[in-house]
Amino acid sequence: MLEHLELFFKSIFIDNMVFATFLGMCSYLAVSKKVSTAVGLGAAVIFVLAITVPLNWLLDQYILQPGALSWMGPEYADYDLSFLSFIMFIATIATMVQLVEIVVEKFSPSLYNSLGIFLPLIAVNCAILGGSLFMQSREIETLGLATTYGVGSGIGWFLAILAIAAIREKIRYSNVPPALRGLGITFIITGLMAIGFMSFGGMLTGGDEETKEDTTVEVQVTPTDDNTELANNTKIEE
Amino acid sequence: MGLKNSLHNFREKNKDKKWLPAFSAIHTFLFLPNETTHNGTHIKAADDLKRTMNIVIMAMVPCLIFGMFNAGYQHHVAFGDIQQATGGFFSSEFWTMDNFMVGFWKVLPLVIVSYGVGLAIEILFAIKNSHEVEEGYLVTGMLVPLIIPIDTPLWMLAVAVAFGVVIGKEVFGGTGMNILNPALTIRAFLFFAYPTWMSGDKVWVQGAVARDKAIAAGENLDAISGETILGSLAQNKGAGYDVMDMFYGLIPGSVGETSTLIILIGAGILIFTKIGSWRIMLSSVLGALAMGLIFNFAVSSEWITESSKFYGLMSTTWWHHLLIGGFAFGTVFMATDPVTASQTNKGKWIYGFLVGFISIMIRVFNPAYPEGVMLAILLMNVFAPTIDHYVVQGNVKKRMKRLKVKTA
Repeated sequence: MLEHLELFFKSIFIDNMVFATFLGMCSYLAVSKKVSTAVGLGAAVIFVLAITVPLNWLLDQYILQPGALSWMGPEYADYDLSFLSFIMFIATIATMVQLVEIVVEKFSPSLYNSLGIFLPLIAVNCAILGGSLFMQSREIETLGLATTYGVGSGIGWFLAILAIAAIREKIRYSNVPPALRGLGITFIITGLMAIGFMSFGGMLTGGDEETKEDTTVEVQVTPTDDNTELANNTKIEE
Repeated sequence: MGLKNSLHNFREKNKDKKWLPAFSAIHTFLFLPNETTHNGTHIKAADDLKRTMNIVIMAMVPCLIFGMFNAGYQHHVAFGDIQQATGGFFSSEFWTMDNFMVGFWKVLPLVIVSYGVGLAIEILFAIKNSHEVEEGYLVTGMLVPLIIPIDTPLWMLAVAVAFGVVIGKEVFGGTGMNILNPALTIRAFLFFAYPTWMSGDKVWVQGAVARDKAIAAGENLDAISGETILGSLAQNKGAGYDVMDMFYGLIPGSVGETSTLIILIGAGILIFTKIGSWRIMLSSVLGALAMGLIFNFAVSSEWITESSKFYGLMSTTWWHHLLIGGFAFGTVFMATDPVTASQTNKGKWIYGFLVGFISIMIRVFNPAYPEGVMLAILLMNVFAPTIDHYVVQGNVKKRMKRLKVKTA
């Protein structure tokens, strides 16, 4: 329970999608002119992250990781399909977003209308793919933690876009220098907001950043149309 | 009479010159302008922007003077020239001319650089945008020397002030438009850009850093340590000062932040003149106390034991948090900034409570930043428009409901 809380808090404030990693900036900048639309998009992001991160966790755990395929039999134990992560994750996200859209349209037209174009747009929001990739690289251990991480990251992004939308509504009548109007001032505000969010940096980790180990397995893939050959080529060489 | 008229005539003569805003800034500083408004509705009130700013500065002057005495006092105590004052606030060892002069010659350059750089930038922008110089910087320029360590190099201060005024304020269109408190933006810039000069046990006593360098160069001297109470608590070393010293402010720290007593006088002035919001001050004190009680409870129910790195700060008696560090100063002078704080009354309560709550939380949980008030206020500045938005929306909804009941 405690680790869930810690991860939740961490993914909202410390590793905030926008202010710590600057992900999902395109929709963050484009859709933050009004609070109401920002809330809609933010809610959609929470929703999609909460679904795709655990799904991709399953995918990662049982298909993509080195040795993940061992459930199919001992002869598959040393396959490493992690080079497919990007494609698989994006495919999952796109499929899920489509599915969610269809389901929401069918069962709750009012929610569908309020989300509008944002739902399909989320498929190309890098915060969503980022959530899945961070989940992979930070080696989150259980499905429950992955869900917590997804929801937390979504809420962090939601808070960010909510705050900047409110600020942008507030400064609408400010006398901003003409050259900075629009995106320029929004970038500056984002930077200043990130200073505010730095108050949480280093919390829980005790001030020292964990050193991330980069384990890259070099894989050579020769284009073939035979799947078994492809799989053979991707065996880890020991 | 002669000077006033000739200045006025000079102003009339140069009406279309580019540098006129610079002149009228000084002009209106000395005299009220001769012109009056001609048409439209008038509101006659004494509290224009300049007077508001002046009252805030007056509320800060006691802090400044006390800070000068304290800077000299800490310097002399750390160097072993005098004993620690035993008589508390009124002890004769503290209020000596010697103490004052040491502090005076260190603090005065900080004030001059802060005002010089800040006002120069303000005037440049005023000339460029051809509007009058705005008075907003008067308070910021006074706040900045009060919230930085006394040994901060002047060039760093100048760089930080330039950053804070340009990025923190002028790009938004000047006074009254900024998102974050400019003084805190300046301090945050210093804090993140030059961390070695902004925290640690050397920077709070004048001369300690220089002494360190001398020792490193091979001189046979005793090292000076002027750890703040927060710093030593964070290392589980105990406070080292008694409560009355904390309250009176005879402790190491930034120039103006140490004396809770003097800050209370300032708070009184601000509340009496209705310039500072008592709602924000009260609610942030409540927030801090709430967080302090939670931590005390965690210690007394033995979730946190002495081996924990949080023990020192968590076991601090709940109301001591108000006395140590910059909490009092930040709450009274910076959280109440009318531009960056929440503007609705209900919003002020929420905003203030969260400022207090989060600042104690950062203080305890974040070993990298023993001083949480600065970052807590900056964070809540970011969320203040959001709070306002929802308070306003709530009011709109309530009135719509009332309207429906009436018309139905």
